[in-house]
Amino acid sequence: MIEFIVFFAFAAVAIIFALVVILHRNPVVSVLSLVASFFSLAVMYVLLEAPFLAVLQVIIYAGAIMVLFLFVIMLLNLQHREEPATRPVQQFLGYTGAAVFGIALVYYIAKYAVLKLPGTPFLSDARRVGISLFQAYVLPFEAVSILLLAAIVGALVLSGRGAVAQ
Amino acid sequence: MIPTHWFLILSAVLFAIGVCGVLTRKNGITIFMSIELMVNAVNLTFVAYARQFHQLHGIIFVFFIMAIAAAEAAVGLAIFISLFHHRETIDVDEANLMRW
Repeated sequence: MIEFIVFFAFAAVAIIFALVVILHRNPVVSVLSLVASFFSLAVMYVLLEAPFLAVLQVIIYAGAIMVLFLFVIMLLNLQHREEPATRPVQQFLGYTGAAVFGIALVYYIAKYAVLKLPGTPFLSDARRVGISLFQAYVLPFEAVSILLLAAIVGALVLSGRGAVAQ
Repeated sequence: MIPTHWFLILSAVLFAIGVCGVLTRKNGITIFMSIELMVNAVNLTFVAYARQFHQLHGIIFVFFIMAIAAAEAAVGLAIFISLFHHRETIDVDEANLMRW
């Protein structure tokens, strides 16, 4: 019973803060709302018996990536900048299109994806994930490390104000 | 235990909100944040199905998606900084050329 209450409370938090992200004009408020939304998704991972991913969600998403967004917004001094209004037809098509898409998705999930729960719990803790990462998935793991290195170099080259070209 | 399709519905709603943000906003960083929202909605689906089918692959996939999202955020934000230095704006309607 208690986990249903937790689920609905944090689902509501996730959806409300996600709406704040796309509706608020100030990007700093958007980033902080996105952090709150990601925290409630971490609670969802705990409810899904994936505590390792919940910790990763808090550390990587809510911690590292969102701090990166916040730094860039503050570096570019965007929080005082007024965003120009979108064209009304684009607003209308965007909102109705996304609403129709969302309603259709929810309808078909409720119609076709209602599955019977397995009886036994499935705990995916750090030990099992680590063993799997370093046995079956060792090649993708190394590829991701190379990808992260490439991303570091790419970010330095792109934001280096032409210093590399000189 | 909470049924899997409730998590799927939550994920669908979050994904639709992200789609709405991408379609209606002009600020490049807000569009980027909407994309992160969609990525997280898909992650929730992966974890929900991993529990449903007792497969570890979904969890591992989410791990890799998180690493790739970090790389994507670093490169994307560097592009926005570079764009801001050239154009003094991050309005995506102003930046519709691949090079300048």
